[in-house]
Order: sequence, then structure tokens, then C-alpha cells
Amino acid sequence: MKEQIIALIEEILKVPAGTITEETQIEDVEQWDSLAHVMIIGELEEKLKVSIPLEEAIELTSMKELLEKAGC
Amino acid sequence: MAELIQETGKKCIEKTQIAVLSNVNMNFVIRMLQKDLAVYEAEGYGNELGILMNPASSYHGFAPEITFVVMDLMELLAGELEPGTAKDKIEGWFAQFEEALSQKQESGIFYLSDAYLWGVQLLVHADAGRKFALEQLWQEQLTELCRRRKNVRVLPYRSLIEKLGEENAFSMKMWYMGRILHSNEAQKRLCECILDKVRIEKYVPKKVLLLDLDNTLWGGLAGEADHTPLVLSEDHSGLAYKNLQRVILYMQKQGVILGIVSKNNREDAEGILKEHPHEVLRPEHFAVQKINWKSKAENIEEIAAELNLGMDSFVFFDDNPAERQLIKELLPQVAVPDFPDKPEELAPAMAEIYRTYFARPFVTEEDLNKTRQYAENAKRSRMKESAGSFEGYLKQLGIVMKRVDPVENVERLTQLVNKTNQFNLTTKRYTQGQIREVLASEGKRVYLYQVSDCFGDNGQVAAVVVDLEGEVPVVEEFAMSCRVMGRNIEDAILEDVEQDVQAAGYARLRGRYVPTQKNQPVKEFYPHLGYGKCADLAEGGTEYEIEIAKAPKRVYYVEKA
Repeated sequence: MKEQIIALIEEILKVPAGTITEETQIEDVEQWDSLAHVMIIGELEEKLKVSIPLEEAIELTSMKELLEKAGC
Repeated sequence: MAELIQETGKKCIEKTQIAVLSNVNMNFVIRMLQKDLAVYEAEGYGNELGILMNPASSYHGFAPEITFVVMDLMELLAGELEPGTAKDKIEGWFAQFEEALSQKQESGIFYLSDAYLWGVQLLVHADAGRKFALEQLWQEQLTELCRRRKNVRVLPYRSLIEKLGEENAFSMKMWYMGRILHSNEAQKRLCECILDKVRIEKYVPKKVLLLDLDNTLWGGLAGEADHTPLVLSEDHSGLAYKNLQRVILYMQKQGVILGIVSKNNREDAEGILKEHPHEVLRPEHFAVQKINWKSKAENIEEIAAELNLGMDSFVFFDDNPAERQLIKELLPQVAVPDFPDKPEELAPAMAEIYRTYFARPFVTEEDLNKTRQYAENAKRSRMKESAGSFEGYLKQLGIVMKRVDPVENVERLTQLVNKTNQFNLTTKRYTQGQIREVLASEGKRVYLYQVSDCFGDNGQVAAVVVDLEGEVPVVEEFAMSCRVMGRNIEDAILEDVEQDVQAAGYARLRGRYVPTQKNQPVKEFYPHLGYGKCADLAEGGTEYEIEIAKAPKRVYYVEKA
């Protein structure tokens, strides 16, 4: 699941595979702006059926947290 | 084939400047569209009217050719479902929108979404008809606006949501997180829809759909009724063929010319077309019929000559893969779409063919009369063969031409100058705004001609724009529909323009020829009519000049009405 989530995020951000890791901080990725963030949360739900609660989704700062909330 | 369409589609839209305005967050849609188009970066959302009305806004600086306005009705109504209040809000919005359109010299095209009202409160509303009633308020205003303003068209937003279904089209979470109303899937579909509309605004549609008969328009083989009954009925696959015919009939009503190219015994096929109780398409719906045992390529070449159309005007629909392959090889400019495997796919495949090759942004009166005009044209061709000499033929035709008001017929004028490729001396294209400027300008004269003959009305078929700003007036654009080419009508038209210019006090007239891939047939137009070369144009092409009083006598058989 982790790999699928990372691949999906890389696809949305249009960044090369390998750019996003479990250690990535969201603010370090230029393409990961607030709009991209909404798209990522939406796509995780639509494509992978991963639902991160609304308030928690807004406050995410790192991949580590995202994967945790996604239950990986 | 699909890839080819996509490629040519991309090519024709790549530099188009568009804007997407909305009262919900469309930034991701804009971001996706920026891959293929130049898209205006809206300053936020929900200020669509402000952006349009403020002449100093960056939107006007960007000057998009096409503006897509996608409105969420629930957001516009701020969740208020009371019909009286809703009516005021909707009418108010439209009044302001129209005001914004009139303020600007409205050079652009606008696509405005139709209504889909969505919100969870509708699920608990006591009046089950309320959703429809409120949507209807929007639809009525939209229909009226499109009727009044020729540059406003409908963006089929509603059908996009319907196809996807509410559960897949909307996302509560993204709405709360960032005012993004639509799911990612719905946003992708919206992008596709917008790209398709841009493509339809820019491409040159095909003109003629050529149809095979056996196992294409009906199942089974004509003429073998005793052994294999024809499949065309109200049941099973018979109904699938009947439905295909219904789709084709509607295409014909929208201006698509139909032709038959089929290997059959003529009497057998004609008998079915005339008499079969389940035929939807009857002989009068076809402008041309080639029912014989000759090769289809040969028949298509004959049709092209009779209708005076280039091979790139045709789409060929045939169930036989060998016939399709032959046409692809022998006549590569003819579009040959795939034929569906199953009868139930026939009607939807035809609808897709319509969208891909024939759809146009709007349908003019001219389009609606096309079949009749082209059928008359085929008769003219046959008369040409029997008239003996070309001159005798022209005399028999009894051509009459008449100037008509270009302002009243601005849609047709725009269509003529922008969609004519063969007989187009400069292939200058004009936006709707530029056309209006030209029409309003003191320094330009615009001529639009209607032509008729003994077989019927050809419609408005030629447009000329003369620029009077310089020392010597210049014909900056001369476009004529290919369906009246080859009858010396262009000679009569240019002479008419010369006389008008002379009456306005000018002794000389200039004309330009700018070569393109398609307009080779008119390369010698000006020299042929006695014009002398006077300059090479910087942008390519040649300028010619004539002293009107010394023009040679032209030979034509056209009466001026």
C-alpha cells in the first residue's frame, strides 16, 4: 500500500519516481502546494479508498504522518 | 486513428488562449488544462462577474479567445431553495453577466454551463420537484441568452455530472478542504469537455458521410430476401440498425451531407430505401447515391467531382474491413473510422463519429439546407456533361447573384472567411470581434453575395473585404464556397467589387494572393482577370493591381439582381 500511495502522489505532483519517500517533509517539495494537497487527499480516497479525516488531512506536514493516518 | 485525431486535435488548439471562470475552485482544472492550452490564471474564484466587468482586470489584459464560465447553482443560490429568491438571484446574475458582455466589445466566445443543482439538503427537501424547478430557472435564462447573443454557447456540464453520477462527481471532503466541488474524476472530465469544445471551435469539420448499405445501414443482404431476410425492425438487432439510422437522420438535419457508396443491384437497394417499412433514411435524405459494382474509391472520386469537394471532406463508414483498408490506402485523406463489432454499439459509435468529425459550435440556416444544395449540385454536374459546351452549360444554369447585408448575416460571413480553404485568396482568419470591427469600420467595405440558379438557391457563398485605408484600395480577403466554384461566378463578383470601388472614386484596385497548401486553385486568379503584379508581400505572397477603367472584358454568365 505504501508504494501505491507514494506512486499516486508522485503522479499527481508530476515529479520523477523516487522523489517522494517515507521521510519526505511536505514543505520541502515545491510542487506540493495547498491545491496539490487537496488533490492528493481526494485521489487517495477515490483511487485507493484511503480516507484521512478532514481535520487531520489539513494538518499533515510529512509523509510519515500521512502514511500513519492512512493506516500503513 | 484515434491517436491521429488526438494529434491533429492538439495541433489545432495548442496556442488557443482560454479562461475558466467559476464560483467554485477551478484551479486544478486550470492547472490540468495548461498542459495543452494557454489558460488565464484566475484571481481566485467566485468573482466571475467582477472579473468580466472590470475593464482593468488581468482577464481583459489576457484577452482570452474563449471563456468557459462554470457555475455551481447551489453556491450561487447560497443554499437558499425558495423559488422566489432563487428566481431573483438567477435573473440578477444573468442580467449582470449580459451587462458585462455588452460592456466589453465582446470579441470572445463564451461557453456557459447549464444547470445541475446539487446539495445534500435536496435529499431532505419535502418538494421532490424543487431541484428540477430551480434548474429550469437557469436553463430558461441560458437558452434566451444564447438566442440573443451569438457568441454565447452552452457548456454541457449537466450531462457530464449525469454520466458520472452524483456519488462519483462531487466530493464533500475536497469541498470543505479547498472549495473544490468536484471529484478528481469529474474535474478530468470537465477538462476533456473543455478541450473538445476548443477543438470544435478551431477545426474544419468534415462535410459528407458516405455509407455502405448491407450490414451497415441494415443487417443482411439486399436482394436475397428469400434466403436472408433483411435485419431492420423494431426488435433485437433490427432495432439496433433502425436506431443507427435515427442517429444518422439527425446528423443530416444538422447539416451533414449523406451519400451512399454500396455494391448492390441498384433496383434491390432502391426498393428497400423507398419501401421498407422500417427504413428511417429515405432516398431524399441522400445528396448522392452510388449503388453499383464499381470500386468504392472510383465512386468516391466521382462524388468528390460532382459535389466539388476535396477528399478531406469525406468520412467513409463501411462494415467491410477490406473496403475500409482499400480506401485508407487509395484515398488517404478520407477519414475511415472503425466499424463496431456489435449491433448495440452502432448508434453510440455513430454519435461519436458525429462528435469527432462533424460537430460544429453552432448551426446556421445554411447548414440546415445543405442536403438540398448539394443534391442540386450533383444535378448541375450531370447537366454539365449533357450541355455539350461549358459555355452552353453556364447559360443554361441561369445564375443570378445578389449582394446581401453582411451585418445581418454576420454568422455566415464569419463561417465563410474562417472555414473556406480552397477558394480563399489570403486565408486571413478573423475572430468574431475582428469581424465586428471590420463591419463597423469606415475604412473597410464588406461584400457578401448570395447566388442562385435554375436548380435552386446556393445560399450566401462569397465574401469580399476591401481595405480603403491606403492610397489604393486592397482586397484583403476574398473567400468563396467551393460548392459554386468553376462557374466563373468569382469573375462577376470581383467585377462587381471593382465597379463599386470605382463608383466610390477610386481608379485602381489591388488584390493579394497568399499561398497555402489548399488554395493553389486560385493562384492565378488576379493575373487571369487582367491584374498586374505590383509587389511581393513581406508575409509571403503577391500583390496585384489593376486600373479599373482598363480592365479586360470578362466572360461570365451571371445576372446581377
